[in-house]
Amino acid sequence: MNSSKLIGLYRALLSIILTFLVTSIFLIINNTNPLLAYYYIFIGAFGNINLIIETLVRATPILIISLGLAISFRCKVWNIGAEGQLYIGAMLGTITAIALGESFFTFPIAFIMSLIGGALWASIPAFMKSKLGINEVITTFLMNFISINFVQWLLSFPLKSPETLFPESERIPNSAILPVLIPYTRMHLGIVIAFFLILPIIHFIMMKTTFGFKLKVVGENPEVARYSGIDVEKILFLALVISGALAGMAGFIEVAGIQFRMRPTISPGYGYTGIVIALLGQNNPIGISLASIFIAAIINGSSTMSRMLNQPQGIVDFIQGLLIMFVLASNYILRYVSKKELIKL
Amino acid sequence: MSSQIPSFFSNDIVLHVEGIRKVYPNGVIANDNVTLSVLKGEIHAILGENGAGKTTLVNIIAGCIKPDAGEIYVNGKKVKIDNPRTAIKLGIGVVHQHFILIPTLTVIENIALSLNNSGFRLNLSKVKERIIQLSNLLNLKIDFNTKVEELPVGLKQKVEILRVLCQNANILILDEPTSVLTPIEVEEFFRILRNLKEKGCSIILITHKVKEALSISDRITIMRKGRIIKTLTPKETNEEELSLLIIGEKQNSESISFTNENNNTKKILLSVNNLNVRGDRGELSVKNVSFSLYSGEILGIAGIAGNGQKELVEALTGLRKPESGTIIIMDENVVNKKPKFLIKKGMAYIPEDRIGRGVVLTMSLAENAILKRFEESPFSNKTIMNKNSIMNYAHELIKKFGIIAPNPNIEVSNLSGGNIQRLIVARELSYNAKILIAENPTAGLDVRATDFTHRIFLDLKSKGVGILLISADLDELLKLSDRILVMYNGKIMKEFNRNEYDIYKIAKLMLGIEVN
Repeated sequence: MNSSKLIGLYRALLSIILTFLVTSIFLIINNTNPLLAYYYIFIGAFGNINLIIETLVRATPILIISLGLAISFRCKVWNIGAEGQLYIGAMLGTITAIALGESFFTFPIAFIMSLIGGALWASIPAFMKSKLGINEVITTFLMNFISINFVQWLLSFPLKSPETLFPESERIPNSAILPVLIPYTRMHLGIVIAFFLILPIIHFIMMKTTFGFKLKVVGENPEVARYSGIDVEKILFLALVISGALAGMAGFIEVAGIQFRMRPTISPGYGYTGIVIALLGQNNPIGISLASIFIAAIINGSSTMSRMLNQPQGIVDFIQGLLIMFVLASNYILRYVSKKELIKL
Repeated sequence: MSSQIPSFFSNDIVLHVEGIRKVYPNGVIANDNVTLSVLKGEIHAILGENGAGKTTLVNIIAGCIKPDAGEIYVNGKKVKIDNPRTAIKLGIGVVHQHFILIPTLTVIENIALSLNNSGFRLNLSKVKERIIQLSNLLNLKIDFNTKVEELPVGLKQKVEILRVLCQNANILILDEPTSVLTPIEVEEFFRILRNLKEKGCSIILITHKVKEALSISDRITIMRKGRIIKTLTPKETNEEELSLLIIGEKQNSESISFTNENNNTKKILLSVNNLNVRGDRGELSVKNVSFSLYSGEILGIAGIAGNGQKELVEALTGLRKPESGTIIIMDENVVNKKPKFLIKKGMAYIPEDRIGRGVVLTMSLAENAILKRFEESPFSNKTIMNKNSIMNYAHELIKKFGIIAPNPNIEVSNLSGGNIQRLIVARELSYNAKILIAENPTAGLDVRATDFTHRIFLDLKSKGVGILLISADLDELLKLSDRILVMYNGKIMKEFNRNEYDIYKIAKLMLGIEVN
């Protein structure tokens, strides 16, 4: 492990420790033993095989999203719109699956359409960023509201299933559903795809390819990139579009693996959770896979903990917010600490 | 040595450092037991090669780096300088080799920012008053409402000096200040230094130029490999002795042989016709410029920074779209072509701004070495990078170009300025370029690295490469160029062939004074 990876690990660990420390203070104020709370979080996430599978189920969409975000964050394109890209991708994938009906090609085509959906939705801010220089943070974020409300409208009126009272689509055909690998659990094929196919592919792209190299150069110094003959605008465009495609894929895997229908509640903010994970994982795919399991464990474990100790459910958002803050701050904290260290040498 | 220095507690010593030691995390001993005194109202030159530890010493005094050992005394009192603000409060002002201005702010805003004494209300008019007063003293002509990013390097430096003076510094530390100035600007700059000295300022001048140190300073301290070698006065020494002390060994610097062949037998590599280029603020910066570059020649462009050279180079390298005119490289008009196309066509470019445009500081030496060739075999098969061959190649470059680095994985931010330049030169010359555009290629480099660069240029020339040398160093241009074009206010004033060189005529034209 080289020194920059080691520093990344320190950063992640430091921010996790600080987050738990601050959370402890609030738990103590709330008359709760923090150690007991963390114990219940752990048990809730990893207590038995079923709970472990549920944690992996939770980790899958956020892993795929944050791998995509890592690509855009690597070249310093701050895609805040994964949530909206997820909705559009999942919607398009669902529509395709329903339209194709039962067939051997239903899943692959619907899967690809979900990628295209997310990519197309991301290509709008990507175009505005690369051609017109409009800040992507604002455009991607605001487009979330457009896409989520648009999908809500589609599910409430034109695409509403005639069988139910709720705003949701028809059930997707069986051939579009990801098979369950362990009976009587929700361990579906999508989890394996995410961890053993998407993760290595993204790792390979980022670490071993010329595209990954270009992403890095553009992110670190766009001026040098331009002078070295890299088409900076093209890279910025592609990075945002690829992260959109992965967010769309995450949405469809959630439909095909868990929900079997498109619902307006398909994502409880996974697109934003992905940002926490990409930052906590330091844009490193391996780090991101660990971070996604960690965050999934916090999400699942917190609901157990809040039931057992009568604590508010909002603790999850509280912890995630603190994590973002400390990850961003940890760079400066570490630099400060390491400076002090140097004097002792 | 002690005979020249007044006793330790003398009132005349404004700054005294004792036993400074600094070892970087990568094991480089940058400063080793450095002891130095600076007197009131003296110009004290610190001479040494790249990597001798001069900049580290400056950074320690300025509070940017903490020493591992040693003490600092200001006006006889022991002080602890643990951040730059403390240094400023003590009256120590530093102009760094690499500027620390905020590009998107104007000159006034940058200076106001560094003053930090205006309280809650930002009083720009008061700041402006002070700047005008100081700039009149220094005879500087800067549009104070210009954004710093739009200023050429020469002017940026003047802004830096102004900024430090506005902070009421009485100990001024200048790190390689003349590397971006023309000979005439240097004279002007020295006049300013003498002026400041008369007003009681102490000046520490970090340089590697022996001539400058001899002509301007009261005392000269020589540093080598992190140690103080000797402190001398200019009267008791000479150029030769100083050079020897700096290098520490006899250097075989036989004069460069020069061959000037007839241009008729050579082919035109680059031809620029009626080129007009607009600058950042929309003003016409390059006006109707035409010239040709032949194979096997070095064409010099002389001019004071900010006379359109930057825009001309950016147009030639595909970084800026020309307003009108043609740029023809080997019978093909390349106007509006992207840098990638030009690189493929065989254009190499050594930029003036090494840190901003030459390297990615946060990436490794190896990654920087292949920046322009990573899509070529053997570094990649267009898609997948080949780490082993990249590493081997980087090792090769380190050896061949004498880059001082422990290994190719080292982040470029850990290399000294001279080594960064070696890396850039190595990279640019590694692909078989036919045209080399070099912008102030030896600015800030020591004797040895400069000599090395010049030899490489002459070697390339003999191989038929056409070199466009844009330099503020007139001596360099006179030494290397087959022809010199003088640029002033965006126009080519005159072309000189090698047998017509006249330094006074060229210098006058650089200032826009017509000569017949």
